This record gives sequence, C-alpha cells and structure tokens, in this order.
Amino acid sequence: MLILITGGSASGKSSFGERLFCELPAENRVYIATMKPYGAEELEKIEKHRKMREGKEITAVEQYTDIDRLKLPGRSSVMLECVCNLTANEMFDDDGAEHEMTGRIIEEILNVSHAAENMIVITNDVGSDVESGYSDPTKRYISAVGKINAVLAHEADIVIEMVCGIPLLLKGDRIW
Amino acid sequence: MIFVTGPAGAGKLDYVLSLGYAKDDISCGQITDRPVIADIQDIVMNSDCDPAELVELLEGKEVLVCDEVGSGIIPIERDMRKAREAVGRTAIELAKRADKVVRVICGIPREIK
Repeated sequence: MLILITGGSASGKSSFGERLFCELPAENRVYIATMKPYGAEELEKIEKHRKMREGKEITAVEQYTDIDRLKLPGRSSVMLECVCNLTANEMFDDDGAEHEMTGRIIEEILNVSHAAENMIVITNDVGSDVESGYSDPTKRYISAVGKINAVLAHEADIVIEMVCGIPLLLKGDRIW
Repeated sequence: MIFVTGPAGAGKLDYVLSLGYAKDDISCGQITDRPVIADIQDIVMNSDCDPAELVELLEGKEVLVCDEVGSGIIPIERDMRKAREAVGRTAIELAKRADKVVRVICGIPREIK
C-alpha cells in the first residue's frame, strides 16, 4: 500500500505519518531521511524528527538520492521524508548544477513502494506560492515537485492532506 | 471555540460574519477583549512569545482566525522560515483545543473537525 501525505510546513505531516507508520503491521520499519545536514537548522529539525521516532523500533537510514539502492528487509514498511528534499538533492548538485530528474525520482520512489509492504511518502505543497519572484531553476523545481506529487497521488492507495494537524482524506479509505 | 483557517483572502471573515458576528466583534492582528481574534498569523510573527504562551493568551475567545502560511517554497530567509513554523505549530495547538475547526477555500467553509 502506498500512502501519500501532503500539506504545508508545520501542518503535522511527520507526526501523523509516523502514527500510521507505527500502526500499520510490519516486521521491519525503515525510515528514509533525505535532509542533508547543511547547518544548525537542519540538524535541529533532524534531531526533532529523531526524537519523535525514539522508542518506536524504527531503523533510520540517511539516503539523499537513489533511494531504491537501499536493500530492504522482508515485509518492510517504509516512510520517506520527504519528496521535496529528495527532489532538491536529485535536481541540484552541491555546486548548484541542475539536472532533469523528474522521471527518475518518480521511478525510484515507486521502486521502493513496490519492494515494500507499505510505504508512507511525505511531501509538501510547494506550488501554492507566487511563482514570478523565483529564479528559473526554482520554477522548474516547483513544477517538478508538482508533477511528482501528481503521479504519486495517482499511484497511491491513500492520499491525505494535513491541515493544522487534522488529516483530510483526498483519496482512498480512512484507515485511522 | 471555533478555529477558522484557510489561505489569505479565501473568505474566512465573511464566514465569521455569517455566524452572526458584527465587524466590531472582530479584532485583526492584535489580542483585545473582542470575542473574535483574526490574523493570528500576524500576531505570531510580530510577537516573541512561543506558540504555547500565545495559545494561553487566546484562551476564552469565541472565534480564532488564522491564515495558512506553510505552503509554497520554503523561504530563503531564516526568520521567515521560523515564522512559518511558529504559525503552523500555533495553528495545530489551536485546532486541538477547538470545538470546531472550519477551513475556508474559495469562500466555501468546510468543517474539518
């Protein structure tokens, strides 16, 4: 089963995603973190998410690109956090060089989803914004995330939008 | 308490007026003794208190209105990122305490709690 969770920043996506992640039956739970620890703010966020997972028997792996290279144990539930970071990591090198990776990103996420028993994917609504103020690479990034979200939502069994900590069901059955 | 959220300009205040409140019942961007406090996102962004303190200050109000500001590209400016985060966390707290949460999109109110 593929579950896509979208919503704005600080809307409660991670905590609700982790709740489902822990409730779904699985022999192994693998959490894929994609945020590169560039500085204090990222480290703070990584630490916050790590604390949320504490005591929950979750294996956390850091994989910034090519998440389908991970070897998953059998009957795994996977939680990917998040599409926006993965897309930025795949699209832009550390020196800022840009690559067209939309198809590849969709492929790697779906590969993991097919290999896993259940997969929860966290994404963000980066497109609800005034686009004109951004550089062309950022505009292409916004459009890439939008397309990836749309394809994942199409493939997903359940799509949820978080609003102020409240899950709204956009597609599929309510399982909580 | 009723918590009303949704994007800027989506019709949240019209929804509040439709509940029977008058314009004079609404205080925008500051906490006063009026029963409806709107533009809570501005209060969060302009104050130094953390979400928990602010939520205490809003205790006893009848209707609270807050823009959803977390969508779109994550801002480059650190202060703006922190502000968005604080508004989101405040909104989650207020939604938890609310008897009813209404999200307004394109003028259409939807009860989500």
